[in-house]
Amino acid sequence: MQTHREMNFDALVVGGGIAGLQAALDLADQNFKVAVVEKDASIGGKMIRLSKVFPTLDCASCITTPKMAASAHHENITLFTYCDLKSISRESDTVLAARVVQKPRYVEADKCIGCRQCEYGCPVHVPDPEQGNFSMRKAIYIPFSNAIPQIALMDVENCSLCGKCAKVCPTGAVNYFQQPEELVIRAKTAVLATGFRLTPLDQKPEYGKGKILNVISSLDMERLLAPHGPYQRVLRPSDGKEPDAIAYVQCAGSRDKTLGVSYCSRVCCMYAIKQAMLLSGALPLADITIYYMDIRAFGKGYEQFFQNAKAMGIEFVKAKIAKIEQADNQSVRLRYEDQEGAGAVMEREHDLVVLSLGMVPEWHPEGICPVGCDTDAFIRTPMSRLSPTLTDMEGVFVAGVAAGPKDIVDTIAEAGAAAMEASNYLNKLNKKAAA
Amino acid sequence: MADNNQKDPEPKVGVYICHCGGNISDHVDVAKVAQEAEKLTGVSVAHTNMFMCSDPGQELIQKDIKDGKINRVVVASCAPSLHELTFRSAIKRAGMNPYLYDHANIREQDSWVHHGDPATEKAVALVAAAVSKARHLEPLEPIRVDARNHATVIGGGVAGLRAALDLSRRGIQVALVEKSPFLGGRVAHLNRVNPTGEKAADLIRPLAEAVCNDAGIQVYTCSRVVRFEGYVGNFKLGLKRQPPETPEDLAKLEKWAESGKKEGDYLPFAGYYPQKVPNTAEETEISTGAIVFATGFKTYEPRKGEFGFQENPEVIPLPAFIEAVAKEKPKGGTLTLNGRPIRRVAFIHCVGSRQIPGLHEPDDQGNLNEYCSRTCCSATLQAAIEIREAFPETRVLEYYRDIRTYGRGQEDQYERAADHHVLFFRYEPEAPPVVERAAGGTYPLTVTVKDTLTFGETVEAGVDLVVLAVGMEPNPIQDLIEMMKLPVGADRFLQEVHPKLRPVELANTGILLAGTCQAPMDMGEACNAAQAAAVKAATLLSKGYVELDPFVAKVNEEKCTGTGACVSACPVEAITLKEAEHQGKKIQRARVNPALCTGCGICVAECPNNAIDVMGWTLKQYEEMVDAIVAA
Repeated sequence: MQTHREMNFDALVVGGGIAGLQAALDLADQNFKVAVVEKDASIGGKMIRLSKVFPTLDCASCITTPKMAASAHHENITLFTYCDLKSISRESDTVLAARVVQKPRYVEADKCIGCRQCEYGCPVHVPDPEQGNFSMRKAIYIPFSNAIPQIALMDVENCSLCGKCAKVCPTGAVNYFQQPEELVIRAKTAVLATGFRLTPLDQKPEYGKGKILNVISSLDMERLLAPHGPYQRVLRPSDGKEPDAIAYVQCAGSRDKTLGVSYCSRVCCMYAIKQAMLLSGALPLADITIYYMDIRAFGKGYEQFFQNAKAMGIEFVKAKIAKIEQADNQSVRLRYEDQEGAGAVMEREHDLVVLSLGMVPEWHPEGICPVGCDTDAFIRTPMSRLSPTLTDMEGVFVAGVAAGPKDIVDTIAEAGAAAMEASNYLNKLNKKAAA
Repeated sequence: MADNNQKDPEPKVGVYICHCGGNISDHVDVAKVAQEAEKLTGVSVAHTNMFMCSDPGQELIQKDIKDGKINRVVVASCAPSLHELTFRSAIKRAGMNPYLYDHANIREQDSWVHHGDPATEKAVALVAAAVSKARHLEPLEPIRVDARNHATVIGGGVAGLRAALDLSRRGIQVALVEKSPFLGGRVAHLNRVNPTGEKAADLIRPLAEAVCNDAGIQVYTCSRVVRFEGYVGNFKLGLKRQPPETPEDLAKLEKWAESGKKEGDYLPFAGYYPQKVPNTAEETEISTGAIVFATGFKTYEPRKGEFGFQENPEVIPLPAFIEAVAKEKPKGGTLTLNGRPIRRVAFIHCVGSRQIPGLHEPDDQGNLNEYCSRTCCSATLQAAIEIREAFPETRVLEYYRDIRTYGRGQEDQYERAADHHVLFFRYEPEAPPVVERAAGGTYPLTVTVKDTLTFGETVEAGVDLVVLAVGMEPNPIQDLIEMMKLPVGADRFLQEVHPKLRPVELANTGILLAGTCQAPMDMGEACNAAQAAAVKAATLLSKGYVELDPFVAKVNEEKCTGTGACVSACPVEAITLKEAEHQGKKIQRARVNPALCTGCGICVAECPNNAIDVMGWTLKQYEEMVDAIVAA
C-alpha cells in the first residue's frame, strides 16, 4: 500500500444504494458527519440501474438522481466510492474503526474532470455489464451516464496498454501505476446498507443452467426497457428480433428450497407486472404472459396496479414452470401443469423468457464485521417488531435489503428508521461524554 | 463571477431541456425546443440533457452561472413538485439566488398527454412562457420562522409510542394524544405477533412503560385534537380530554375494573392503562413544532350476510377469534369456545380487501377496499398454527386467493401450516366460498367452494366455525382531515407527498405520517415508518428555525388605501389592518403575516387597487407568461 489515511466521522454508512443514501441524508441533515463507503465506482445502487419503478411508473433515474446529487453535495457527507471494506471492529466503547481499501481507478480522482476523452479515444471494446453485457463499453470509461462521481476508471484486465487515454487526457489524470490506498475510517455508529444481488441465472438445471438462448434475468430486462439502455428498444438478445411473445417465470429464484432460497423475495411479482406494463407500451402487439404461484401485490397501490395490468390484457397463468427448453427458431419452450384447466401438462413457446429471479445478500459479514446473520443469510434483526434496524452489535444498525428482501418504498422507510436509531445512539454517547 | 444577486438590468436566461430518459424526448422534439428557445428575447443559452436532475445535468447549469453566461434559469422537465428543490439547490450552490429560476412542466403537462408535433409546439409555448416570467423574476429570500422544540404525536398505538419515544430520546419535547383510555392500539388486541411468535403483551407493555416514564413525554389519554391553527414550527392545538363514552372504551374499562389492576399496568385485549380517566371534560392548548399522525386503522366490518356474517353466530371476524382462543387453556384435544367443541374451523381470506368493482358490493358511502391489507394472510396462518399446535384435534381449512407471506420468516410459517395439515382451498374472486347453514348433519355450517387447486372441483365441507380474515381500513378521522386540510388517497388512507421521495411527509409542511394511517402495514413496518417520521421531525426542529418558501403576499404600501378587502378574503387569516401614520394622518394599511400566508393569491384578485402581489408569482409575471403563450 502506497499511502494510508485516517479520518473521523460521527457515522459510517456501508453501501451507497438508496438505503445507504437515505440513511446518510437523514443523519447529515441533523448535522452529523457521515462517511459513505461504496464498493462500486458510482453511488446509486441497484435502483439507478432500473428503468421505471412501481407503482407510480416514475423513471428510476428521476427518483434516484436527486438523492444521489443531494448526498454528493451535502457538506456533512463524504463519499468513498470504489472502496472495499476490509473490517469493522469496535476500538473502544465509543469508537468503531473501519479498514477500507480505495481500489485504484488508474485515473486520479482529483484531476479527472469527467470529459470522457479517454473513453472516446480508447480502442478496446468489451461487453458492458452495466448494460447486461448486451452492448459494449471501452476499457477506460465513466461507469454510466448519470454516475456519481463522474470519474473515469480503467478496466486493467482488458486494457491493451496502448497509452492513448493518457495521451488524450487534458488534465494528465491517467496513472497506470496508481496503487491501492488504505483508509481507516473511525465513527461512533454505523449503518449497514449492503443490499442484494439476484439469485444466479444458471442455478437451476430444469431451467437450462443459463445456457438457453433468449432466457434473460429480470435486471437484464430492466436494461432493455431503460431509456438509455443498450438498444434503446426491446430486442431479444440472440438475433435482434423484436419479440412477439414474452413470458415471465415467477419465483424462478425464490420460494425454492432446492436453491437454498426458501423465502419470498417480495419484489418479483411487482417488477414483473411493471415490466409487463412497460413492454405492452414498447411492443403494443406483443403477447405477455406471467406464470405465477401467488401474486403478492401487497404494498400501497400495488393490488390496483395488478388489476390494471390484468385489464390491459396481460395474461396471468397460475402455474409453476417445471422445465425450460430451447425450441426452434431460438424460441423458448415452457412446460407446466395447467392448474386452471384439467391439470394436463402443457407446453408453450415464447420468443423471449424473463426469469423473475430473487434476492440474496450482496455482502456477507463473516470475518469482516461481527454482526450475526439469520438462516436466510441476511443480517439478523433481533428486535424485528419494535426496533427493526437493530443488529446484535451495539451501535451498528441495518437498513434495506441487507436485512431481508424489500421494495424501494419499504427500504426508504427503513433507512429513515436506521438513521433515527443511529442519531439517538449518537445522542446517548454525546450525553455520556458531556457528563 | 458576476454578482448574480443584484437585479441585473439585462436578464440573461439559460434554458435547460430534459429528455427524461425518453419520457419527454420520445414525444417532444427537444432539439427543436432548444432551437426555438434560443431565439427568444433574453435567452443566452439553451441546452438539452438526458437527465437534467442528474449531477452532469446540474453541473451544466452551474457552469453557465459561474461563467457569467446566465443570471436566470429555466428548466423544462417534469412536474416542479418533483425537482424544483433539486434545481434550486444546484443554483444556490453555484452562488446565485435560487429564486431566479422558473420551471416549465413539459412531462406531466405535455409529453405524457400529447404526442407528435402538438407536443413539441406546446413545449415551445411553455418554455417561452417560463422564459418571459424568468426575465421578470427578482431575487427572494426564504422566510425564517422560529420552531418550537416540541412535537405532537396523535395516536397511542405502536407507531405513536415508537415515534414519541424516539423523538424524546432525540431531545424533543413530546405530547402523545390518544383518544381512548389505553395505549397500545390494535397490537394490544393480538395474542402473539407474526412471525416471531412473541407475546404482544411483552412488546407493548415495556414500550408503553418507557413512554410513560419518560420525563420528556406528556401523555394525554381520553383526548382529541379539537382545534388547529398555525404553521410548521408554531402549531397550536386545542386538546379536549373527556370521560370515555364509546361502547368499545366502556367495555374495556369494565374489563379493566374486573381485573383489579392499577394504573401503570397492562391488560391483554385492552392495552396499557397509564392514568385514571377524567370525570369531567377539560380543554387545554399546546404549542408544538411538528405533528406526527399515528391514527392507525380499524378492521373491516363485514356486511350482514357476507359469508353468513350476523346470520349465523358461528361466523366471526379474526380479531374476535384471536381474543376468544387466547382465553382457552391449551390442553390438547379439541378447541372449545363457549363450551362448544370446534372440530373444524374455516378461515376465509380477503374479507374486505382486494375488492373488485362490479364484483363486490360497496359500503354505505360507496367505498370499495381495492387494496390488499397485507397482514391478514400471515395473521391467519399464525392463528391456524397456534390452533393446530395447542388443539391438534381441531382441523383447520383455509380459503384464499393468493397467499401473501412476503415478509421475513413468513414463508416458513406458510410451510409450517402445511406441515400441520392445514387444508388449503383456492378460490377466484368471481366464485367466492359460500357459507350456509347445514341441513342436519354433524356440523352447523357448510362451506362450498370451487377449488382451483383441484382443477375447479366443487368442494363442500362441514365446519363448526367460520373465521373471516377481515382487512384494514383507516380509522375514521374525518374531523382531523377537514380541520387540518390533509390529503387523502382514493383508498381513503392519508396520502404522502411521494412514495419514494418524501414517503412520510404530507403536503402540509410539518405534518408527518407514521404507520397504518398511511397504508396497511405490519408491526415492524409501522415501527419503521414511525422512526422515519420521527427522524424527519427531528431534522425539521433540530435547527431551532424552519425556512419557508417566500411565495407569499406582499403589500405595496404606496398603493394600499386600507380598504380591508384582502383581510376579509384571506382564508387563513394571514392579513390584518394596521394603523400607520402618513403625512400626519392616521391611516390603515394591510399587513401580511408571511408565516401564515399560503400564497393562494385570493387577496390579489380582491384588491381594488392592485396593491397586493404574491412574490415570485406577480401579476406582471403572469401577464408576461400569457403574452408569451399567445405569441408562441
